[in-house]
Amino acid sequence: MTEPLRPGDRVLTSRADPAHHTRLPRYARGAVGTVVEMQGRHPLPDLRSRRLPAEPEPVYTVAFAASELFGDGDHTVTVDLWHSYLRPAEDATAGRPAPAGPPATAGPSGVAGSSGMAGPPVTAGNGEEER
Amino acid sequence: MSRINDVGGMQGFPPVQQEPDEEPFHADWEAHVFAVNRALIGGGVYNLDEFRDAIERMPPQQYLASSYYEKWFFAITTLLAEKGVLTAAELAGEAGAGSAGRAEAGPSASAEPGPDGD
Repeated sequence: MTEPLRPGDRVLTSRADPAHHTRLPRYARGAVGTVVEMQGRHPLPDLRSRRLPAEPEPVYTVAFAASELFGDGDHTVTVDLWHSYLRPAEDATAGRPAPAGPPATAGPSGVAGSSGMAGPPVTAGNGEEER
Repeated sequence: MSRINDVGGMQGFPPVQQEPDEEPFHADWEAHVFAVNRALIGGGVYNLDEFRDAIERMPPQQYLASSYYEKWFFAITTLLAEKGVLTAAELAGEAGAGSAGRAEAGPSASAEPGPDGD
């Protein structure tokens, strides 16, 4: 069961680079953003475009700092993203390359199996098997 | 493995041209393409995500040289052929016949100021 996200939740987007249709644009991959609000429930386009079974799942408006996406700029970019593209930023940042300084609010560091930068490709349809 | 549609954040494209009081269609054939697509999705021949996928599968050079509804037309014909609704021969015959309605501005005559389409 995936818990629904709430406004204000920090999320990390998938780094998957699928060959098929997806609604997660390249510029917003592997980025940390903040949930603004839920936009209803819709089947995952990645699956539906291939005529695979897809149950409706939450879609969220997620806000990113432009500097997080493009390395520059002080505006905000909002993107509507399916739940499958997102995971909580807390357990995901463990796999990110260490920033130059000491890790800010280091979470549990040695989380085994959390996929790192070049981990196995995360298929966007992950996690829908059990639901 | 992103495809040619995924150009957000890429440089080299001019700003989006905003046309005040823009007409919904720039040529009659565009309205036909719009209507045909609605009918095919409504009739369950393909779904909206398959349609978007078909646009994204355009050869990159063709994608960049095509107007908005030219991309739609490409996707519709691609999906109709793939799903066996029309054969490639039927599509070619229809296009070659050049019916009066289509001859006025075929999908190659773009009214948009795109990147120097040929």
